[in-house]
Amino acid sequence: MDLSTLGGQFLGTIPLGDIVLYLTTFNLFMFGAALVFTAIIAMSRTESQVEAEFGTLNEREKKVSKDEFKIRRFLSIVCGLATAGAMITGDLFNFTLFVCLIGIVNIGIVAAVKEVDVLDSAFQYGIIAMIATLPLFGGAASILATTGTISLLELVNIPTSAFMLFSSILLFIGVAGESGVAPFFATKAEMFRTAGSPFLVIIHLSSLLVIVRIIEILLIINKPFGI
Amino acid sequence: MKLGRIWNSLATPKNIPKLFSIILGLVLLTGFIVPLTYNDHQLYPRPTPQLQISEKDPLAPYNRGGIPLEEPGIVKAQYPQFALSEGMVTGYLSPIAIGVSNTTLYFGTSIYSSPGGLIDEILYYSRGFDTILESSILMMAFVIASWVALHFTMRRKEE
Repeated sequence: MDLSTLGGQFLGTIPLGDIVLYLTTFNLFMFGAALVFTAIIAMSRTESQVEAEFGTLNEREKKVSKDEFKIRRFLSIVCGLATAGAMITGDLFNFTLFVCLIGIVNIGIVAAVKEVDVLDSAFQYGIIAMIATLPLFGGAASILATTGTISLLELVNIPTSAFMLFSSILLFIGVAGESGVAPFFATKAEMFRTAGSPFLVIIHLSSLLVIVRIIEILLIINKPFGI
Repeated sequence: MKLGRIWNSLATPKNIPKLFSIILGLVLLTGFIVPLTYNDHQLYPRPTPQLQISEKDPLAPYNRGGIPLEEPGIVKAQYPQFALSEGMVTGYLSPIAIGVSNTTLYFGTSIYSSPGGLIDEILYYSRGFDTILESSILMMAFVIASWVALHFTMRRKEE
């Protein structure tokens, strides 16, 4: 499978030594979308939630304090930039590093809140993110061992072996753990029950874009429809 | 157990790390039956560590040879056209590093072999962007940890 079959027109590369970022129309669109969303999130303000108290007529307002706002905005911008980088990188190990950065920053975005339930589930998510680094880096390392390269531009031309399939399953489990998809969604869903929606949206957006990108990478590595 | 009950247990955050590690464990176990294929024309080659250790090389297992700025060491890049001076400084040793490597056989395994010692060109030159990302992951971890420590542990009484 060709890079341009998957990504549309091949627009060029950005060489940084062995790490060559490449641009196709598909990648470039996701890169641009991630950057635009990051810019919007960097400019937007947080909402305040009003909760009715049980048994009385009082209500309680939940606001994001200024300190909390600053750190969460900073980490959201880092998360957006890491997502944008993961979209155009042409190197497998580089991609895993970007995903790892997204994972750790996601914990940080919710680590600043004061709700105990949210912190509890962020803790559980952190445990998964820690375990997920093993299959994430292990998958990339075993692809390097079995093919001798981790550049996606080279992996396109290498026929798939059984071990490459196994390593890409490992890689997918790693990304699934870091981004909290299907059976592991509960921790991430609980993390969203707090004020500060722009920052929660970037957690969401990063996992969505990373999942789309890992599917593209798995198709590049495994070539299910022939070279 | 009913299927609905299983789905419900998936909604409890506490169970998710267990589920994840069970799935990961099963996949890792199936790895034993997958035939291993190993490409020995590796991208980042190095002599086997035991070879240099038994030769009593003080830089073992990181000796890549080469004379700084004259003769390139054994560093192989994926794209040599983007790394023109590949291998040129990989044999550089600072005066302190030369002194230490003359007194001990275990210089290569010590932690201080990197700053001013052996320069790993893969880390700092051909794959330098990875190193930038790695250190930014570390920096973000420290940012988060120090923020939590400052605001949740030290300034708790103010609220």
